[in-house]
Amino acid sequence: MNSFIVFEISASALGAQGQRMNVIASNMANAHSTRTQEGGPYRRKDVVFSSVVLDSCPGEFKGVKVVDIATDNTPFKMVYDPGHPDADKDGHVAMPNINIIEEMVNMMMASRAYEASVSTFNMSKAMFMKTLELGRL
Amino acid sequence: MSDGFRILEDLIRLTNMRHGVIASNIANVDTPNYKAREVKFGQIFEGMELKATNPKHLKNSYQDLSGEIVTKTTQEGVDKNNVNLDTEVAKMTENAMLYQAGISMLSIKIRMFKNALRR
Repeated sequence: MNSFIVFEISASALGAQGQRMNVIASNMANAHSTRTQEGGPYRRKDVVFSSVVLDSCPGEFKGVKVVDIATDNTPFKMVYDPGHPDADKDGHVAMPNINIIEEMVNMMMASRAYEASVSTFNMSKAMFMKTLELGRL
Repeated sequence: MSDGFRILEDLIRLTNMRHGVIASNIANVDTPNYKAREVKFGQIFEGMELKATNPKHLKNSYQDLSGEIVTKTTQEGVDKNNVNLDTEVAKMTENAMLYQAGISMLSIKIRMFKNALRR
């Protein structure tokens, strides 16, 4: 077992959770965007995680990777707002399918997982520093 | 020379392996279908007896400590993932302390031999 695997595992988790945080931030920022380049209101995005065997890792130690950024196809929220420029003839506006509360919960989970990986990283570092002290008595 | 080195070597090797397994559990806390794993230690104290120069003495036969990686079967969440972040962080702290204790004991053992050689 390569001793530095734990650092790679923690780093993969930090990267993946960071990317999840970016996607959540983008969802929150676009909670009221009714126009996008693809046309229509903004659709909620979500990351898809998968456990991966890292290049230098044997099978038992798995890192994590974002394999896809999926689009949430649940229907748009219809809001009655006749004054809105994107309102249809009945006065309804299609708003992005984003629930701010749900995004907040996701954000807290991402942040907690990120913190856990940071503490894993620090713990690994402390263990290695202790091992290095073996040489100097 | 002495079984102490072998015991400590095994302890350090296995706690290091367990640290890797816990790190991968923590990394995959939100991965769907991921199953948490843990390192089960073999029987370290099995047959750990003293040297026998007399039939009445106890025997000393340290066998290499083995570690086995097993998949946990705790309750799964809706995403078929059974990693419990709090448990893993607690186990990681405990494991790191065990590792550091192993390193400290090894360090003391080396110092003992050094002292013996100096006199």
